[in-house]
Amino acid sequence: MEAVTMAKAINLSLRDALTRDDNVLIFGEDVGALGGVFRITDGLQKAFGEERVFDTPLAESSIIGVAVGLALRGFRPVPEIQFDGFIYPAFEQIVSHVAKYRNRSGVSLPITIRVPFGGNIGAVEHHSESPEAYFAHTAGLKVVTPSTPGDAYALLQTAIDDPDPVIFFEPKARYYVKEEIDPAARVPIGKARVVHEGSGVSVIAYGPTVSIALQAAKTAAAEQISLEVIDLRSLSPLDMDTVMASVRKTHRAVVVHEAPVFCGFGAEVAAQISHDAFDTLEAPVTRVGGLNVPYPPARYEKLYLPDVDRILQAADAALAYG
Amino acid sequence: MADQTFRLPDLGEGLTEAQLVAWRVEEGTQVEVNAPLCEVETAKAVVVIPSPWAGTIQKLHARPGESVAVGEALVTITSAEASAAEAPPGTLVGYGPGAPESGIRRKARTAASVPESSGDVRAAPFVRQRAKEMGVDLAQVLGSGPGGRITRADVEAAASAPAVTSSTSTAAPSADGERRISVVGIRKAIARQMVRSVSTIPQFTEFAIFDATNLMAAREQRKASGRSMTPLPYFIAAVVKAVRAYPLMNSSWDESRDEIIVKQPVNVGIAVNTTQGLLVPVLRGAEQLELTAIAEKSAQLIEGARAGTLPPGQMSGGTITVTNVGASGPVETGTPIINPPECCVVAFGAIKPRPMVVDGKVVARSGAWISISVDHRIVDGALATEFLTALVAELETISA
Amino acid sequence: MADVVRVVAADDPVRALFSPAGELTAEGRSRLGLDAAALRELYRNMVLIRRADQEALNLQRQGELGLWGQFLGQEAIHVGAMTALRSEDWVFPSYREFGMAMIRGIDPADMLTLFRGLSHGPWDPRKYHFAPLAIPVATQVPHAVGFAMGCRLKHSDEVVLSTFGDGATSEGDWHEGMNFAGVFKAPVVFLCQNNYWAISVPLSKQTAGSIAERAQGYGFPGIRIDGNDVLGVYAAVRAAAARARQGEGPYLIEAVTYRMGAHTSSDDPTRYRTDSELQAWNAKDPIARYQAWLVQQGIIDEGTVKAIADAAETAAQAMRARLIALPTPPPGEAIFGRVYSKPPEPFLREREEFEASLEGP
Repeated sequence: MEAVTMAKAINLSLRDALTRDDNVLIFGEDVGALGGVFRITDGLQKAFGEERVFDTPLAESSIIGVAVGLALRGFRPVPEIQFDGFIYPAFEQIVSHVAKYRNRSGVSLPITIRVPFGGNIGAVEHHSESPEAYFAHTAGLKVVTPSTPGDAYALLQTAIDDPDPVIFFEPKARYYVKEEIDPAARVPIGKARVVHEGSGVSVIAYGPTVSIALQAAKTAAAEQISLEVIDLRSLSPLDMDTVMASVRKTHRAVVVHEAPVFCGFGAEVAAQISHDAFDTLEAPVTRVGGLNVPYPPARYEKLYLPDVDRILQAADAALAYG
Repeated sequence: MADQTFRLPDLGEGLTEAQLVAWRVEEGTQVEVNAPLCEVETAKAVVVIPSPWAGTIQKLHARPGESVAVGEALVTITSAEASAAEAPPGTLVGYGPGAPESGIRRKARTAASVPESSGDVRAAPFVRQRAKEMGVDLAQVLGSGPGGRITRADVEAAASAPAVTSSTSTAAPSADGERRISVVGIRKAIARQMVRSVSTIPQFTEFAIFDATNLMAAREQRKASGRSMTPLPYFIAAVVKAVRAYPLMNSSWDESRDEIIVKQPVNVGIAVNTTQGLLVPVLRGAEQLELTAIAEKSAQLIEGARAGTLPPGQMSGGTITVTNVGASGPVETGTPIINPPECCVVAFGAIKPRPMVVDGKVVARSGAWISISVDHRIVDGALATEFLTALVAELETISA
Repeated sequence: MADVVRVVAADDPVRALFSPAGELTAEGRSRLGLDAAALRELYRNMVLIRRADQEALNLQRQGELGLWGQFLGQEAIHVGAMTALRSEDWVFPSYREFGMAMIRGIDPADMLTLFRGLSHGPWDPRKYHFAPLAIPVATQVPHAVGFAMGCRLKHSDEVVLSTFGDGATSEGDWHEGMNFAGVFKAPVVFLCQNNYWAISVPLSKQTAGSIAERAQGYGFPGIRIDGNDVLGVYAAVRAAAARARQGEGPYLIEAVTYRMGAHTSSDDPTRYRTDSELQAWNAKDPIARYQAWLVQQGIIDEGTVKAIADAAETAAQAMRARLIALPTPPPGEAIFGRVYSKPPEPFLREREEFEASLEGP
C-alpha cells in the first residue's frame, strides 16, 4: 500500500479497531465532526455513527472517569486527551482509578488513552509536554509510544486489544512523517527494537527522539563512529533484554528523551543498565534531554530539545572515556 | 527597493507543507501589506495568505496544485520601502519542524570534555573485569586514557606483553603497499604527551660539550674498587647540583593561574627505551641521595621499566628529565622534547674521544655533548646558558 | 426542612435592568450614566480591538506569529465589561481576551509575543491587574475566586472579573470555583462569554442545561444577556460589580455571542459549522449594530466613523511594526530567568552550562 502519514496510520488503526470490535468506542473533545485537531479521527464518526465516535464536553477528568464506567459496562473505550498539557485534570482518574481498578477489584479495564505528546511544533504553553514519566511510574498502567507510522498502526492495535489500561503517547512532531505500513503487523507491548545496528555506543530513544538518534547515527557513520539506535516503543513494561544485549556489545550507553533529564524516564533506563550491566560498561551511562525548566517559549525550544549535536557529544564523551 | 522572498510559514502548529490552491496575484501586481496573495491547503485547513510587504510581485515560486514545504520560497516581492531590507532577508519567523533558524544556536558538537581519572577510579568496570579475566594486575598497567585511565586496549596490551610490541597492531598491507598500524596503549600515550609538549610549551634548545676526563677518571677509580657505575648517576648528580643553583629549571608553568610552580624535591625522570616504547620512570628526591644511592635506584628503575613491573607511583611525579641520546653509533646529540609539565629536559650524548683545543694545541680528550630544552615561558636564553654552564662545570670538576 | 429550591435574592440589581429575554430595557439604558463622549469611546474601542485582532491573524498567516485565536464577534463583551470595571479590579482571563488586555492598557505588540514564541507571560499582572493568559480551560476560575477571597479578607472594595467561555463550564475547576465563591461570598463577577462553540463542539453538546441558571445551584444569582449589545454588557457588569463591592457576593453573567472566527489559526470551521449560521450571526454583528444605534441617536457621523477606522488602521500598522522590531530576549534569561525567586545552586550551574554551550558572544 502507498505510504501514509503517522496521523493517517493511527486513523486507519482506529478504523480497523472499530470494525473488528463493536465495543470499541472513541470519544473526547472535537473527535467527532471535526475529526480531531490533528485530523486523527477524521471520517470515523461519519463511518461508524455518533454512538461509537462522539464528542464530549470539555472535561478531561470526566472523559477518563466515564471511560472507567464504560469499561465496567463492557465497552472497550479509546478516549482521547487533546494535548499532553491537558492530561493533568485527568491525572487523578488515571492514577487513582484506571491504574488501580484491577488491583482493587479483580476487574480489568481495557481502556486505551490516546495523547499527542512532545514538542518541536512551535506551539504555545501546555502543548509540548512530555509527561510520560509520571505514568510509567504508576503501576497498573502500560505506557507505549511509537516512532513510525507502521509502529503507530501496529502498536495501537495491540494496545486496544490489551485487557489492561494503556496510555498511548503519539509524538505529534512526527504526525506528518510518511511510511508504508502493514495492517497485518502487530507490535507487542514490552518489546523494544534495534532500529540501527552499531558497535560503538548504544543510543536508547523513544517517540520523537528516535528519528534524531537515527540522524546522529548517520552523521557518526561518516566519521567511522558506529552508533546502535534502540527504539524502546514501550516504557512500561520496559524491554531491558534488548537494551542489555546492545550494551553488552557496545559497552557504552546514552539515553535520549525530550522530557527534562532530571528525574526523567532516562534515569530508570540508566539505573537499570548501571545495575545489571555494570561490569560491561566502559563509560558512565549518560542522558540527553530537556533542561530542568518549564518547557520554554517556542522561539527557544530548539535550544532546549535534544538534537544531533548533543547526542553526538554524549557519544563522543562515552567513547573518549577510556 | 529590495527584493524579499516570502517563505511558506508553518500555518498550523507543526505542519510541514501546504498545497498551493490558487494565486490571487500575478507577477507584476502591486500589493499593499495584507493584500491576499494566495490560497493554500494544509493538513488542517484552507488558508488565505496575506502579503507581508507592500511592493510589486516579482516572482511566484509555485504553481497551483504543487506542494510547498514549510520554509520553501513562495513569492518574491520587490518592496518599495528601503527599511524593508533591514528585515532578516527573506525568512520570516516560522515554527515547528520545518522552520527556518531562529538565529540563536547551541554550539555545534564541541570536543568531549571527559572527566580525567582520579584517585582510585582508574578503570571502568568492564576494563576491571577484562583485567581479572586476563590475569592482568591493574597496578602494573600504564593507562593511556584521560588522566591515566586504563583502557581495555591497555589491559589487552599488558596481557600480551612483553614479547610482542603490543602497543601497536598491524593490519595486512593494502594493495598499494601501504600498511596501517593501529595505535593503542603506550604508543598512544607517548603520542599524546608529545603533542601536548610541543603544542603547549615554547621550547628552545642549547648545546654544549663538556670535558669528561675527570668523570672518566672517577669511574675508573670506582671500577678498580669493584663498584663500577655507568655515567648516568654522575649525570643525574650533576643535574641535581646545578638545579640547586638554578631552581627555576625544576619548575612548572601553571597556565590556569599564570604562575610558575617551583618544585622543591628534584624528582628526576630517566628516559628508558623499552620494547613497549619510551618509558620515563622517576627517581624521587634525588637531591637527598648521594651518588651510590642514585646509581642503585636508577638501575632498579631502568630494569623495572624494561620488565614492565614498575608501579604507577614510580612512573609519575617527575620534575626534570634526563635522557641519553648517544647510547650507540655516530649520533652526538639531539633536540630533546620537554616532558610536560616540566620546564627542562637534559640530553646527554655518548662520551668518546674528541678533538679539543687545550693550551693552543688540538688534543684528543674524552667528551660528550649536552643539550637542554627549556620552557621559554619560564626561562630565557641567558638563564638557560648559565644553567648549562653550571652543569658543564659540575661535570668537568667531578672528583672520585 | 427548608425549601428544596432555595430562592435567590429577589432584589437583583442586575436583573432589574433587563427584559426576561436578556435585552437591556429602555429604563436600563437610561440609567447608564454615559455621556456622548463615553458612548463614542465604547465604539472607538470596539473598532480598535477588532482591527488589531484582524492584524494579528494576518501576522500569523505571514509567519510572524505561530498561532492566533481570534475574538472576532466578541468585541461588545470585551469593551463593555472592561469599561464597567475600575482599573484596580483584577481580571482573570482565559486565552482569548486580547481585546480586554488592550483596553486595560497592555501594549498589544507585547501581548503578541506570547504567540511569537518569545515569552509565556509578557506583562506584569501586578501592574495591569490582569492575570496571565490561562490556556488549560477553566483553570483560571479558582484563581479568580481566591483573589477575590483575599480582597474580602483585606476588607477592600475591589472586585474580580472571572471570564471564560461556554466550554469552561464543563470543567471541574469551574464548578469548584463557583462553589467556593458562593460559600465564601467572594466579590467575583463571573462572565461567561458564551460564543456557542468550543472548537468544534456546539453548546448543545457542551451542556443539556443552562449556564446562567447554574449559579443558583451555587447560591447566587445568574443572568443570561445579549452579549452582542455593548451597553447591555456594560450595564450588567457594572451592576454586578457594584453589588459585589457592597459585599453581596458573586454573580454569574452569561453573555450570549458568537465566535465569528475559527477557534485558532490551526482550525477549519468549515468542517463543523454552516455558512448560513455564520451569516445569521454576521447580521447581528455587535459593532455594526452599535454604530447604527449611535448614528440614529446622532452621537456619531460618517466623518467620525471614518476617522476612527483610519486611526484603528494606523494603530494596527504601528502594532505590526513594533512587534516585528522587538528583539529576541537572550535565551538564558528567557529559559531560566523566572523559574525561581531564589534559584538553587544546581539550577544556576545548569544555566551556566547552558549559556556556555551557546554560539556567539
